Amino acid sequence: MKVLVSWLREFVDVPGTPAEIAATMSVRGFAVESIDAAGADDAVLDFEVTANRPDCMSVLGMAREVATAFGLPLRVPAVAPPGDRLALAPLSPVARAEVDVVIEAPELCPRYTAAVADVAVGPSPEWMQARLRAAGVRPISNVVDITNYVLLELGHPMHAFDLSTLAGAEIRVRPAHAGETLKTLDGQTRTLTPEMLVIADAQRACAVAGVMGGADSEVHDGTVTIALESACFDPLSVRRTSRRLGLKTEASMRFERGADPEAAATAMARACALLAATGTGTARGAIIDRHPAPAAPRSLRLRRERLAALIGLAIPDADVTRLLGALGFGLRPTADGWDVAVPTRRVDVLREVDLVEEVARHHGFDRVPVSFPALTTPPAPIDPRISRARQLRSVLTGAGFFETMTFGFVSATAAAPFAAADDIVPIANPLSETFAVLRPSVLPGLLAAVAHNRRREQRDVRLFEVGNAFTRAAGERRRVACAWTGASSVAHWSGTGGDVDFFDIKAIVERICQTVRVDISVAPHHEAWLAPGRAGAVLAGTTRLGVLGQLAPALADQYGLPAHDAVYVAELDLDAAETCARAGDVRMEPLPRFPSVARDLSLLVDDTLPVAALRQTALAVAPATLQSVREFDRYQGKGVPDGKVSVSIRLTFRSPERTLTDAEVQAATDAVLAALVSTHRAVQR
Amino acid sequence: MSSPIDVSVIDAVRERFRARLASASSDADIKAVTDEFLSRKAGAVTVLMKQLSSLPADDRRAFGAAVNALKTEIETALDGARALLESSRPPAGAVDVTLAARDRAIGRVHPLMQVRQQVEDIFARMGYEILEGPEVEDDFHNFEALNMPPDHPARDMQDTLYLGVPTVGGTWGAHRGAVPPSQVRAATLLRTHTSAMQIRYMKTYAPPLRILVPGRVYRRDNLDLTHTPMFQQCEGLVVGERVSLSDLKGTFETMLRALFGDVTVRLRPSFFPYTEPSAEVDISCRSCGGSGCGVCKHTGWLEILGSGMVHPAVFEAVGYDPDKVSGFAFGMGMERVAMLKYGVDDIRLFYENDIRFLEQFPI
Repeated sequence: MKVLVSWLREFVDVPGTPAEIAATMSVRGFAVESIDAAGADDAVLDFEVTANRPDCMSVLGMAREVATAFGLPLRVPAVAPPGDRLALAPLSPVARAEVDVVIEAPELCPRYTAAVADVAVGPSPEWMQARLRAAGVRPISNVVDITNYVLLELGHPMHAFDLSTLAGAEIRVRPAHAGETLKTLDGQTRTLTPEMLVIADAQRACAVAGVMGGADSEVHDGTVTIALESACFDPLSVRRTSRRLGLKTEASMRFERGADPEAAATAMARACALLAATGTGTARGAIIDRHPAPAAPRSLRLRRERLAALIGLAIPDADVTRLLGALGFGLRPTADGWDVAVPTRRVDVLREVDLVEEVARHHGFDRVPVSFPALTTPPAPIDPRISRARQLRSVLTGAGFFETMTFGFVSATAAAPFAAADDIVPIANPLSETFAVLRPSVLPGLLAAVAHNRRREQRDVRLFEVGNAFTRAAGERRRVACAWTGASSVAHWSGTGGDVDFFDIKAIVERICQTVRVDISVAPHHEAWLAPGRAGAVLAGTTRLGVLGQLAPALADQYGLPAHDAVYVAELDLDAAETCARAGDVRMEPLPRFPSVARDLSLLVDDTLPVAALRQTALAVAPATLQSVREFDRYQGKGVPDGKVSVSIRLTFRSPERTLTDAEVQAATDAVLAALVSTHRAVQR
Repeated sequence: MSSPIDVSVIDAVRERFRARLASASSDADIKAVTDEFLSRKAGAVTVLMKQLSSLPADDRRAFGAAVNALKTEIETALDGARALLESSRPPAGAVDVTLAARDRAIGRVHPLMQVRQQVEDIFARMGYEILEGPEVEDDFHNFEALNMPPDHPARDMQDTLYLGVPTVGGTWGAHRGAVPPSQVRAATLLRTHTSAMQIRYMKTYAPPLRILVPGRVYRRDNLDLTHTPMFQQCEGLVVGERVSLSDLKGTFETMLRALFGDVTVRLRPSFFPYTEPSAEVDISCRSCGGSGCGVCKHTGWLEILGSGMVHPAVFEAVGYDPDKVSGFAFGMGMERVAMLKYGVDDIRLFYENDIRFLEQFPI
């Protein structure tokens, strides 16, 4: 709300510079977005008016706040001396004048005032044009400028019709007919619906009530008689109409926040006075005022104790009375506080707490003391998901991964590989194709980030994200995803490991699962977006937690990732992992008291045989003293027949009770070998 | 007594030796010096010795002694030079400690998460329960129960993204044994603020309570310097008997000083439908110290979060008695905090995930 300081001072003798006024009003709830000089000794303050304060979308409204903030009296137009620019014409409601007003929908239009005036259309006085321009309004003609002037000064929207265009000299406030059209002032033809309220003459709609006038009834240079409108419309109805028409105006912004029925009449009186004062015209006859059911002013109870409890400070009664009085509230003391009459313009003050805010606001938040809420019950525990996610972050950053934050929505194309089309959750009103659906996986965003970095001279990229993914079938699930491309270790002058491979990303998956305390195995898996033969399923027992593997080259290509550098990815469902996690504290295992004995076996087996099968067979047949089976070499090539692979495994034996003898270790090793030979057709090398 | 012998030739050799040795810096140099002066065939000392026979008999002893003294001096000096050279040589197996380390890759926690974790820690110390809530919500929890009925103008403040099909929301509160009805069964929108969790929590648990809910929220905003369609918030809620605006003030002063250091904190009246009174919380501008600059738009203050006393209508919506309990609530954007703390001038940097950006933040 742009307010010219000199205009403001017509209502309140506020001292100080514009900057000083701005500083004070900022801490009273009206932040000032800008201060612009206007001429030599004037300025425009642009106040931010919150959505609950339509009464302050005017110079008078802001002046009332300024007067309260500075403890100064407010000069309202009604009490100004005659002859002053602020003087009002007398308002005497009569039933019938030059135009008839019929409200067909009183629930959507509680009050409608109208006046007929003979006018000579021309430019408005320079002082008026200057004020309009300062407030950001373009001067048009004296008649239109007066309605805009009143809008800015008192905050109440008005409209002027060319009376000669109103058929039957009649104003009907009624719902639009289905399919009825109206060319609005902006030149567009709008199709109306019965939910929209219109101002009509005997035949057709002439204005969208509270939103915009019609082009055909617009005041023009040749207009000689006008019908002035100053009415009140239902906020919800105006808001819906404005939204449906995609038409936001100074009028609709005020009506949808709530207009003051009293101000409708005041504004009409003010406009008629300005018509006369500026020589624009003369009101003919009396003003018509249709106000079928005036609402009783709201009365609220304000309890002294409640006020002190909510603010944390006892404010003296005298201050409460002074501050609320200055804002126009009527106070009557009661045993425990006050009965407060709320001015009709204060559509935001509906209950006691709203009065508390008014007192606190003008008493000053800076004078509120500092205290802390008392803990009266034991503090509740922190969600373990929060601490577990933190552990994941330290483990993964320790493993060289950067955490990313990517959007929860992706394009339909990006989502497609990761879920069936009918499993993807679309966004009904997306901003663009890029953000059309909820991500069914964290990977699309992560891969886009990999590609972003690759395009910026980063060959080695390790990224992860902890975030939610969404599908229709499973709903919202928490996930962790990783992507790794480039070298498997940092380049060094002494020589460098190769590029990342399956077993690097598998180690990361295992580390994640250790962190969330889930025992897993990895099984061969097929996934269309992973390279065939280089994909695995992560299993906790039989529950699949996620997948890992090399990104299918075709998909990598879609992200613009080069074919010659493999990208390895993994994604796990943290909600699923949580249900499979070991609970409770770790129980310590006693440290071994006796030495272990290791035996190595080198075997030739079919190259399609998973090593896990060898391990399982060994563990199944060996005595309990076999602690672990671990492969330490795998070789194909010279000396190994085609279709075969040489695998070396180490068996580690230990007893918790005694030192094992060579003989028993040998017997156990022989048993394992025999089982591997018979079960897997293994041949010892 | 014999007359003094002429030792000038010996002194000349000594001078020459000292000069040569002084400029010898390697094994090869020392070998060359050794050869030049001590070589049995043509060494300078050998040459002097050979002169002995041509001297008068009386002078031979003194001259010979002087040459021997020179020879000893030269040998001692050469031994010393060799030892010095030896001692300056690295020991066997020595490494060049200035060579580059064998680096292990190390990543970073995202700067927005770093800020969030700091906020979590500050509130954890003040006894807050920290929990996450679902990102997809229904209209009731995101708007209606927060005193924003359909068509409320305040809904304009948060342009909403709606879902094409109703979706099941993520679980929450397992650590407190939250009951299944409190989960999101048919979400219709992406939550526009973490305030939705206020409602879920209060509908599930009785007061008193103090919670901090960090998480992602969504708005229908285009990407630009200061807007993203998704951002990170921390929502706080404290409810109890006689919780007051002064408690809110004390809490924010503590939190913002922990986060930003020695700043001044001020409350400014504002409007949110779900709080009354409502306050924007500002900190004194760290760039100019409050005197006004471009960062603070010449006001000396930086807006950091929105807050207020919980609106009684919100308490009524969750079945709390607004005459018995009061509370405060706040929502703080992590991007705003991180931008001010780290001097980030473009919010999009947080979502590009450029490693050259991410690696600037602490490990």
